[in-house]
Amino acid sequence: MLKTPDIEHQPAAPEHSDVVLRTVGLTRRYGKITAVDALDLEVRRGQVFGFLGPNGSGKTTTIGMVLGLLRPTNGHVELFGVDTRRDLTGPLKRVGSVLEGASAYPHLSGTENLRIWSMIAGGVPGGRIEEMLSLVGLSERAGSKARTYSLGMRQRLAIAAALLTDPDLVVMDEPTNGLDPAGMREIRQLIRDLGAMGKTIFVSSHLLGEVEQMCDQVAILKSGRLLMQGEVSSLVGQGTALEMQVTDVERAVTVLSGLDFVKTVRRDGVRLIVETAGERAADVSRALAENTIYLSELRTRQDSLEDVFLEMTEDA
Amino acid sequence: MSGLLRAEFLKMRKRWMPYVLFLLMLAGAAVIIWLIGYGTWHDDDDPEWAASGFRTFAYPYSVPALLDSGQFWGAAFFVGILATSTLATEHNWGTIRPALVGGVSRARYLLAKLLMLMLVSTVALLLALGFGVLLSLWATSVADTTVTYPGSFTAGDFVLMVSRAALCILPYGLLAFALTVISRSTALGIAGTMGYMTLEAIIVAALGTGGDILQGSRILFLGHSVGALIAENRFGDLGYESTSFRDLEAPDQPGIWTATAVIVAESALLLAASFFVFIRRDVTVSHG
Repeated sequence: MLKTPDIEHQPAAPEHSDVVLRTVGLTRRYGKITAVDALDLEVRRGQVFGFLGPNGSGKTTTIGMVLGLLRPTNGHVELFGVDTRRDLTGPLKRVGSVLEGASAYPHLSGTENLRIWSMIAGGVPGGRIEEMLSLVGLSERAGSKARTYSLGMRQRLAIAAALLTDPDLVVMDEPTNGLDPAGMREIRQLIRDLGAMGKTIFVSSHLLGEVEQMCDQVAILKSGRLLMQGEVSSLVGQGTALEMQVTDVERAVTVLSGLDFVKTVRRDGVRLIVETAGERAADVSRALAENTIYLSELRTRQDSLEDVFLEMTEDA
Repeated sequence: MSGLLRAEFLKMRKRWMPYVLFLLMLAGAAVIIWLIGYGTWHDDDDPEWAASGFRTFAYPYSVPALLDSGQFWGAAFFVGILATSTLATEHNWGTIRPALVGGVSRARYLLAKLLMLMLVSTVALLLALGFGVLLSLWATSVADTTVTYPGSFTAGDFVLMVSRAALCILPYGLLAFALTVISRSTALGIAGTMGYMTLEAIIVAALGTGGDILQGSRILFLGHSVGALIAENRFGDLGYESTSFRDLEAPDQPGIWTATAVIVAESALLLAASFFVFIRRDVTVSHG
């Protein structure tokens, strides 16, 4: 569909590889603005992959290029090992997508909307439409016109449409946007269930708690550039710190900063955050006591994804 | 392709607009036969006007009269509005994106829309014509007058007349289609098509008063060639009450084959522009 001249001869991952989605040097510029800058991503089969970034970081633009809606300025996308510059429609038949701003035909019912998508996809097995409506909790309103649906219901209809053809990869752009807390929880659970079913999920979000709960892999994007990509579990456990309250904060900072096993000491209101291994708690306590500084509270603290994200995006 | 066409048909069948446009077409046919045709013939004292009114409602004279008005208003209203609305609403509703990321090539998607538009337009316009012909037969019998016409009128003549009118609707439909593909806006598509039809009528008339070069340049405008084809539908050179504001008496209209070639060439250009833009352009997403 979208053809880009001068295809560089870079070998695509073989189709039997477990790399489902790969972007190679993916770049998109709008005039002087670089929305996505030489992005290299790799999503493997069965992963629930979180694509994180602040608003305006290039997540939606990346998804637009992955799905062939936007033409990359440079670089390319591989879906299931196929370079989408050579064949886009073939691999896209194995992809379901939920794009930002859930869209539906307002004059048609939920069932009719899914029937439209089924016809466009070339048909789905009998009962599949009802099954998907039930999965997303829309069975009771299946006959109502989509114009009467709330945003959350339209979002769920879009998810049902994305899953209609039983795709191998599901791409979701901010799927919980506009949902109430209960709706957000339902969608998170649905995504976890899909992951448990072995589907590969690529989900963009700026809600860190959401990604931490749903995903096993994460990539962080800022200003169009990839800051990191890795396992959520290793990121969350990456930075461990001791959080404490002491009798003399000023002197405690001096004492702790002099310890060779302490990386950093920073103040957080009346508390001190000491970046060091959790098992060093006794050594910290002893060092403070030797200097007649006493602890009134001490606990270990593990970096959340939010800590990692803020640290990375603020540094970058 | 059949799945895409069925999807297009379901989407269109469930909208109210095609039905309203169709009813307007039927009302237009009734106005042409009874008000403009029969009414003028029955009530006007001027024999020239009365004869012109007679040739508007009396069968088979009514066939070119209906096709003339049907081409002008049918193209502008029915085909234009339907084409622009069908295309632009997909952008407004955001439904174009899920369709394209579902593994359908853009060319096939646009082709399915075009084919469905052509099919629905053809059926609706033929039904409206059929309705007009029935009214014409009724009015002719009510008038209780002998209808004589030069030459013969066979089924083949009828098909040829309809084909000429269809060829004249095609470029305006494709103009609406192209304008909507490019602008992604219903308003711009409709306003652009109607604006073009109005402007070209004024410009062609103005150029006709100029020298040879200016007169020759009228060939660039669709309306000039369309006028020639529609004029060919008349019985001899006998006129009728036209609602399409075109001069069918112009002695310097292009020949029938030249007019056909111009219409086909300009239609092909509009079609190529539509597909070229649609296949190559970004389908906008908000920048997250």
